[in-house]
Amino acid sequence: MGQFIQYMINGVISGSVLALIALGIVAVFKATKVVNFAHGHLILFGAYFYFTFSVVLSEAAFMPDWIRSWDPAWLQAYAGDAAMFSPKAAIASWVSDLPRILLGLIGALAANAVLALIIERLVMRPLLGQSAFAMILSTVGLIWVLEGSAGLIWTAEAEQVPALGPNFPIRFELFDQNLFLFSGSLVNLVVALLLFASLMLVLRYTRSGVAIRATAEDQSTAYAMGINVPRVFSTAWLVASTTGAVAGAILASRNGLSPAIGLFGLSVLAVVLMGGLDSFAGVLIASMLVGILSSMAQWKLGGGVAEIVPYVAVLVVILIRPHGFMGQEEIERI
Amino acid sequence: MLSIENIEVAYHHAIQVLKGLTLSVEPGEVVALLGANGAGKTTVLKAASGLLPLENGSIDAGQILFNDSPINRVAPHELARAGLIHVREGRRIFAEMTVEDNLIAASYALTGRKEKPDYDAVYAFFPKLKERAHQTAGLLSGGEQQMLAIGRALIGQPRLILLDEPSLGLAPRMVDEIFDNIARVNQEQGASILLVEQNASAAFRIAHRGFILENGKVVLEGPVEQLRENPDIQTFYLGVGEQDDKKSFRNIKHYKRRKRWLN
Ligand SMILES: Nc1ncnc2c1ncn2[C@@H]1O[C@H](COP(=O)(O)OP(=O)(O)OP(=O)(O)O)[C@@H](O)[C@H]1O
Ligand SMILES: [Mg+2]
Repeated sequence: MGQFIQYMINGVISGSVLALIALGIVAVFKATKVVNFAHGHLILFGAYFYFTFSVVLSEAAFMPDWIRSWDPAWLQAYAGDAAMFSPKAAIASWVSDLPRILLGLIGALAANAVLALIIERLVMRPLLGQSAFAMILSTVGLIWVLEGSAGLIWTAEAEQVPALGPNFPIRFELFDQNLFLFSGSLVNLVVALLLFASLMLVLRYTRSGVAIRATAEDQSTAYAMGINVPRVFSTAWLVASTTGAVAGAILASRNGLSPAIGLFGLSVLAVVLMGGLDSFAGVLIASMLVGILSSMAQWKLGGGVAEIVPYVAVLVVILIRPHGFMGQEEIERI
Repeated sequence: MLSIENIEVAYHHAIQVLKGLTLSVEPGEVVALLGANGAGKTTVLKAASGLLPLENGSIDAGQILFNDSPINRVAPHELARAGLIHVREGRRIFAEMTVEDNLIAASYALTGRKEKPDYDAVYAFFPKLKERAHQTAGLLSGGEQQMLAIGRALIGQPRLILLDEPSLGLAPRMVDEIFDNIARVNQEQGASILLVEQNASAAFRIAHRGFILENGKVVLEGPVEQLRENPDIQTFYLGVGEQDDKKSFRNIKHYKRRKRWLN
């Protein structure tokens, strides 16, 4: 029982990161009807940008010392003689990293936003009015362009980047079971779910959300009613690239920086298909399910098999429900 | 208000649909545009509202003026914001959104203008929409959906409404109600209307002038009183008298197709 809950928690944590990645794919699909195969590589760029700003740039000669490592007197006093690996020590070290974490996040968000706007403008916009197939193929082409240029720009491999939150082990009891998780994972979970929830709230309750939903439902009619549809398209790409940058920072801080992040992001497309390309609620459920399933498989079946299990599940779901859990249920009435 | 001068329109640079079409709508006017299926009526409206490029269509010759400025290449949302609003064939309401959200989406037509969206005015115009403000629009009846489509146009305080087959799929009584509403939009809001219809008698009831489109060209035009007297129109569009083989408005097959929409 204790083990079960423990793996459940691990599953929810990795599920939330899947959800954050899936969010960007759904946002672009809903607004533009393009399945963005290159979303994983947008995330890869986000990760590299985060590394560039939080590590490379913060250590540059012209940067003030406090960016690299912030060490005010009160922090020294707080840290005092805290034991290694204690929460206190972890928090103190996180606070002293905070300037470069923020620099990294702001830089990654901005750089990824610019990258997405360039892609949208140069690659997607000229294809407006062409078949969706042409647009999808061009995102497949983007994978190689992005991967290739990342290889040219960054040679860094398996570099460490600072985590978004303080990282110390938390031990707690639930139903009389001793459980354990890292505070860093908890922070990632909260960040991912907060981003997911705020996007849902904006879509549901704001006027801009109405414009985006209208465009998602019927582009040309929204356009003819005064909604600036090309701007909605760029907004969707902005949402995807900035949430993708956060996902990239999380992945890089969790598993180290590597080109494999791109492929991992691509594999999330399967999760998105399981949930329904156009349903935020559906992909949230699918992400959690796949997260929990792989965590359980890890526990019961061990590493190798565990990698495949979630994707077998995805295939089964898609065979039974081709539009995923909650994909487009048409409301029709004559 | 709107002046379409000798336009040629093709889809995919291959299928030519409009072949030198000219028509105009004056301020305050309701103009009916009639024609058989596939004559190119919807294409005329899409050309005027800037939607053609989205369907791989292009205006290859001629020009379209709205309030005396050329609009051949203006984007649809800018035309809507300038007061030219297209209510599309098949109503095209946002079925998954509420009635209210449909109207909020339409308020983007007021972007850059000083007017504020007047939801109460639209609800006063169509009390049924007010009752259903928070319902999913896809569950409205056909007539209510048409009211919503027109209500969305009204939110944008249009100078000219391009209205594509508002009678489509509606019961005769509903058609009368919708057309009364269209006439009121014209009279009370002072909006000009270019009305595409299959139902000629309904259109003639509220229109001032009419154009008959055949094969991408205007074959007949004039004030409605005059068109009503035209024997060809009586036979083929108004269903007056018996079918007369010698009258050569395309062919009989087309006439029979037409007849389904007459009442
Ligand atoms: N997007 C498109 N691509 C290619 N051809 C098109 C397109 N839209 C319309 N057409 C063709 O253009 C011609 C005119 O179509 P249009 O929709 O303007 O006719 P219509 O007069 O509105 O007909 P209806 O009464 O059936 O609505 C038809 O032959 C149609 O097949
Ligand atoms: Mg038509």
